[in-house]
Amino acid sequence: MDELSLYVLDITMNSVRAGADAISVTICEEGDWLDFTVTDNGCGMTEEQVKKLTDPFFTTRKTRKVGLGIPFLTMLAEMTGGFVRITSTHESVSDDHGTTTHARFGRNHIDFIPLGDMIETVLTLIQGSPDINFTYTHKTDGGTVYLSCAELREILEDVPLNEPEVLAWIRENLREQYDAASAS
Amino acid sequence: MTVKEAAAALQLSLLCGDDSREITGVYVGDLLSRCMSRVEEGDLWITIMANINAVAVAALTDPALIVFCEDVEIGDDVLAKASENGIAIARSAQDAYALCVAYASIGGAAS
Repeated sequence: MDELSLYVLDITMNSVRAGADAISVTICEEGDWLDFTVTDNGCGMTEEQVKKLTDPFFTTRKTRKVGLGIPFLTMLAEMTGGFVRITSTHESVSDDHGTTTHARFGRNHIDFIPLGDMIETVLTLIQGSPDINFTYTHKTDGGTVYLSCAELREILEDVPLNEPEVLAWIRENLREQYDAASAS
Repeated sequence: MTVKEAAAALQLSLLCGDDSREITGVYVGDLLSRCMSRVEEGDLWITIMANINAVAVAALTDPALIVFCEDVEIGDDVLAKASENGIAIARSAQDAYALCVAYASIGGAAS
């Protein structure tokens, strides 16, 4: 995992597993910082569960395979002078439940790892979960790239978002937006 | 070669764990997400990443010994978790390259 996009994918897959049907992924590159925030309306976590997220042993002991996602992300963020903050409301507490994960990285720090290919990351998410309303926003120094699955659905009506033609259109559209953002 | 023999030959300070295990390979790396897929059972794993996440990676991959090199600071929480999980840890003042050269010179080999 030497690109941040893989961590964005990992965190967003957590939201998918939490049963969310709306997930927003926002990346903001401004000044010295790169911030990414994933917000979902999934089942959420209890305070106790949130506390245990940063302890790799709690999770590894239970499943032996996964559970280092958040500890690794936290380590990477802190190595660049940043942080990871997770806030969550469990469904047993409120109807307005879900989880927000905010990770900040010092993007000029020598230990900063590159963001990687966000277009393919977004496509992987849509392809794997075509019924989820992903909202993707990437603010760069040159402009903002934006995609809303809910808005696409209004235009496409009953066409599933993981149809190859739709995915190809999304790839092209994001590419054009990124080109425009890097040109200005 | 056992952990004990390697520790003596490489002048490592063993801090915790079982020193009778046989070392069957070597891996050097600090990027833990990568190490998670590359450290193999029975390895001598040389790294500077002396934190709790490295211990978690070792719990998953089961190396014979972790050597925290270049005299990096090792927190008490790291040793406590390693002891609890039966993971052997040693410290060395040398860097990874010097340790590899020394290990090869005493007949150690990568898997």
